[in-house]
Amino acid sequence: VTATIDPLETAASRGTSPRFRSLLSRFGIFLVLPFLILIGGVISTSFLSAGNISNLLLQIAPLGIVAIGQTFVMIVRGLDLSVASMMATAAVIATGFAGSNDDVALIVAVVAGTSICVGLINGILVAKRGVSPFLATLATMILLQGFRFAYTQGAPSGNVPPFFRTLGSGKMYGIPYNCVILLAVVTFFWIVLHRSAFGRRIFIVGGNPVTGHLLGIRTDAVTIACYLISSFLAGAAGLILSGYVGLVDNWVGQGYELDSIVACVIGGVSLKGGRGSIAGALAGAATIMVAANEVLLFGLPIQVQIIIKGVVIVFAAALYAD
Amino acid sequence: MTGAVATFPALRNHSGLLGVVVLIAAVCALGATLTERFLSLGNIVNVYEQSTDLALVSLGQTLAILTGGIDLSVGSLISLTSCLTSGLINGDPNRVIPVVLAVLALGAVIGLLNAGLVIVLRVHPLIVTLGMSAILQGATLFYAMGPVGKVPRNFNFLAYGRVAGLPVGATIAVVLCILIALLLRYLPLGRQIYAVGDDDDAARLAGLRRNQVLLLVYGASGFCCAATGLYLVARFGAGQPYTGVNYTLTSITPVILGGTALSGGRGGVIGTLFGAYLISLVNNLLNFMDVSKHYQLIAQALIIILAVSVYMDRRRTA
Repeated sequence: VTATIDPLETAASRGTSPRFRSLLSRFGIFLVLPFLILIGGVISTSFLSAGNISNLLLQIAPLGIVAIGQTFVMIVRGLDLSVASMMATAAVIATGFAGSNDDVALIVAVVAGTSICVGLINGILVAKRGVSPFLATLATMILLQGFRFAYTQGAPSGNVPPFFRTLGSGKMYGIPYNCVILLAVVTFFWIVLHRSAFGRRIFIVGGNPVTGHLLGIRTDAVTIACYLISSFLAGAAGLILSGYVGLVDNWVGQGYELDSIVACVIGGVSLKGGRGSIAGALAGAATIMVAANEVLLFGLPIQVQIIIKGVVIVFAAALYAD
Repeated sequence: MTGAVATFPALRNHSGLLGVVVLIAAVCALGATLTERFLSLGNIVNVYEQSTDLALVSLGQTLAILTGGIDLSVGSLISLTSCLTSGLINGDPNRVIPVVLAVLALGAVIGLLNAGLVIVLRVHPLIVTLGMSAILQGATLFYAMGPVGKVPRNFNFLAYGRVAGLPVGATIAVVLCILIALLLRYLPLGRQIYAVGDDDDAARLAGLRRNQVLLLVYGASGFCCAATGLYLVARFGAGQPYTGVNYTLTSITPVILGGTALSGGRGGVIGTLFGAYLISLVNNLLNFMDVSKHYQLIAQALIIILAVSVYMDRRRTA
C-alpha cells in the first residue's frame, strides 16, 4: 500500500479512458439487452415464440413503470425504498371495495391520494428536513406496511375489480393492455425529463444542488416533485400488478424496490445523481425480466436466478463506477 | 444541546445517546403508569432478553454505517449461517464446537469479501452488499428450501440460559458492545473508522489505512451476523432459509435511534445498544397495552421518522 495516492495517477491507472467508460455506462445496456435476447433465441426455440414474448411484455410493464419513477428520484441524488410497499398498499386498496367495476373511479382516487401523501412525506423529509433518502423512504415503507397490516389484520381478502384484471393481464391482438399504458407513461415522462424546462431543472439539481440554488431554481420543490412522481407511478404499477396477479396478499410487489433500483443502475442512472435516462431505465427493467424469463426457460433452478441477479448487480455497478 | 457538546467534546460522538435515553425513560414512565408489572424485574429481564438478536446484528451494522457505508447483506447472511449451523450439527453434540467456530469464521470471511469487493471494484457498499445479499440468499436456498437439521437440546442455553440471573445471549451482546466501544475509542484503527466516515477522500489523502478500516468493519459485521444466526438457531431449534430476511432493514433502526449519522463519522455502538433496548421496550409496552402486532410496525415507523427529523443530519449538501 502506498502512503500517498495521486488522484490523477489512480484515474489513469484504471486502463480504460474516461470517455469510453462514460459511453459504456450510458449505452452499455443497449448492447446487453439484444445480446441476452440473442442468447435466448439461440438456446431455446420457445423464447422467441409469440406467446412468450407477449408474456414477457406483460411482466415488464409494472417494473418498467416503477423504474421510471425511481429514475426521477435517483437523478436528484435520492433513492425510493417505499415503492414496493406503495404497490402492495395500492393492491390492498383495490380489493378493499366490493370488487365490481363501479368502484374503479373510487379506487383510483384513493390510490392516487395515498400515493401523493406518501410522496409528499418522502419529499418533505428529504428536501426540507435533510433526512437521508434511504431512511426517509425506509420509514414510509414500514409505515405503509403497518397501516396495511392494521387494515387487513394480516389476512387480506376481497376481489380485484374485473377492470383491473383486464388492464393487468388482458391482451388485444397479443399486445397486453398494460404495455399500452407503459408506452403512454414512457412517452409522457420522456417528454417531462428530456424535453421540458422542468426536466432540465431536475438534472441541474441532481448534478449540483448548490448551482441549482444559485440559478434561482427552487431545489426543494424539484426534489419533492420527483418523490411525488415516484410514489404516484408506484401506486399505478401496484394497481396493474394486482390485476396481473389476480389475488392480493400483503406482499404484492415485494422486491420491486430493489429490482427497480437495479434496473436504473444497469440502465446507466447514476447512484450519485445528475445522470440517467428514461430509455436506460426501461431497458434495465426489460433486461431483468428477460434474464429471469431465460433462467426459467432454460430449466435452471430458481436459486440460480437469484444468484445471477446478485452477480449482475455488483458487476454492472462496477462497470459503471465513476 | 450544541452548547453542551461544545463544553464537553466527549459528547460529540454520543449526543444521540442523550435522545435515546430520554425516550427510554419516557416509555418506562408511560409503561409504569399503565401497569405495575411493566417495571417489574421479571419484565425488565424479559425486555433485555428479547433485544438480543437486534442488538447483535445492529452492532456490526453500526460499524459499517460509521464508515459512511451500509451492510445490506446481513439478512441473507443470518439466514445462511443459521441454516448451516443446524444443518451441519444435525443433532450431534460432538460437532457443536467445530461448527460454531466454522460458522463464525464464515461470517467474518463473507464480511471481508464484501469489503474486498468495495475496495477492488470501487462500488458503493450499498450495491456490493445488496448483490451479496442476493448471492447468499440463493446459496442458502441451494442448501435448504425449508427448516433444516437440528441441534442438541442444551444448545438453547445460548438463548434461554441464565448465568447469575441474566440471559446469556443478551449479556454476550453487551460484552461485545463494550469490546467494540473500547476498540473505537482506544485503537488507532478504531479512530480511523470515524475519519473514513467523516471524509473518505481526506482520510485517504492523509494516508490513513482506509482498506484495513473497511476490511475490519465489514468483517466485524459479518461476524455479528453469524452470532445472530447462532442465537436464532438456539432460540428456534433449527435454521430456516428466510429467518434473517427482516433483519436487513430493521438492523438499521437501532443504529439511527442511537444517534449514529447515516452519512458516517458520528455516533457509536453504545447508542445502538440502547436503540435496540428502546425498540424491544416499545414492542413490550404495546404487548401490555394489548395492541395488535400489526400496529407495532406503525409505532416503529413513527419512531424512526421522529428520530431522524429531530437529529437531522447537519451535513446537508445544499
